[in-house]
Amino acid sequence: MSPWQKRYEEMGGDIQMIKLDKCIRVNTKKISAEKLKKRLEAKNVELERVPFVKNGFYVKSSRFNLVSSPEYLSGLFYIQAASAQVPVEVLKPEGLALDAFAAPGGKTTQLAEYCDVIAVDSKRERFEALQNNLERLGVANCIAYLMDFRAVNKTFKYILLDAPCSGNYMLEKHWIRRNTLKRVNERAEKQKAYIAHAISLLEKDGVLVYSTCSLEPEEDEFVIQYALDNFDVKLEKFESFGEPGLTKVFGKDLDPSMKFCRRFWPHKTNTIGFFVARLRKC
Amino acid sequence: MLEDFVAKFTEEKIKFVKIGSKFFLENEDLDKHRLDVKAKWFGLFLGEEVDGKFVPGFGLLDWLSKYSNEKVFVKDIGEMDFLYGKNLRARHVERVEGSTKIGFLKLVQNEHDENLGYAKVCGDFNQRNQVLKHRMDRGILLKREKSL
Repeated sequence: MSPWQKRYEEMGGDIQMIKLDKCIRVNTKKISAEKLKKRLEAKNVELERVPFVKNGFYVKSSRFNLVSSPEYLSGLFYIQAASAQVPVEVLKPEGLALDAFAAPGGKTTQLAEYCDVIAVDSKRERFEALQNNLERLGVANCIAYLMDFRAVNKTFKYILLDAPCSGNYMLEKHWIRRNTLKRVNERAEKQKAYIAHAISLLEKDGVLVYSTCSLEPEEDEFVIQYALDNFDVKLEKFESFGEPGLTKVFGKDLDPSMKFCRRFWPHKTNTIGFFVARLRKC
Repeated sequence: MLEDFVAKFTEEKIKFVKIGSKFFLENEDLDKHRLDVKAKWFGLFLGEEVDGKFVPGFGLLDWLSKYSNEKVFVKDIGEMDFLYGKNLRARHVERVEGSTKIGFLKLVQNEHDENLGYAKVCGDFNQRNQVLKHRMDRGILLKREKSL
């Protein structure tokens, strides 16, 4: 048994390689979900609504690669895992939001459907992808900066911190073989620094959504526990799919409100692994 | 540069800001959110100066689609061909708005009036020949995406 398998079993999860359906998010700035569904179905693309997000469809079958379709090129949709569509819906921003790790732009373009966006990313190549997606989706209400978000010095009522993480076994071939607990812990230390800065940029009563595509508690619940222990923030409950965050794991008792977080196990939710938490500054 | 390109399609004036070599639509509401560092991207992208020439962005072509009647609407088959970088023949065209004079630039729209790019008139629309010379299409977005 791999050490990861043992860890996951302790968390109540499992490692199951499953075939995931491709998933799209409708760009409602350009077209309604129903209209896009009709257009794609007329081209024999079989779609099925994702039950836990507003504008997502699973692609059950298609005779052609969707990225070469006129609908994709016209920016009518974005290819985005179902669970990756959750954080923005949980943030529910109004007015203005900061996207702290914006590239390649899936969540940025989704945020722009709700409010104006300050998008920040420090990776040049990924930033190019962000710009390309902003152009393709016709986003007109986003200002993007090529910089480390820890250099941002303005406060916000809404912040999305989709933190760089070690990923999960559904995202990367040989993830289980390539990853180590050391790498996970190194990531976790960075994530603590990120969440600390994000909280410092949050207005009083402001909302921060922290998300990762990692299933490791060190990068998820432990980072949230660090925030609860060191800053004036509280976890908030939200309606979503997935399972409650872990309140006890690896011999550690965590804050009971950790149950308000959501974890997405691939084999239970038919999507990539994901973790989402909603924090409010007191 | 940008104004010259716009003038080929409409008399409407466009207000823009320039960041480095890139042009963006002026937006006062968005402007108030700026950080005190230089942005790389600001709202709707209109185009870029490359080697002294203006290369339009799809934000500008979408904007022009609202203000210009220099449009060619293409059939499904024409849509795919155009997105693959091909020139268009009369049989690809559903209808034409505005001038049909050779040398004029036309916005190329699909049946939903969504902009696919632009082209230059190069033939008689009443003949069975090549009528539009491809200039730019949205397929470039995919090429860029794949190169990253």
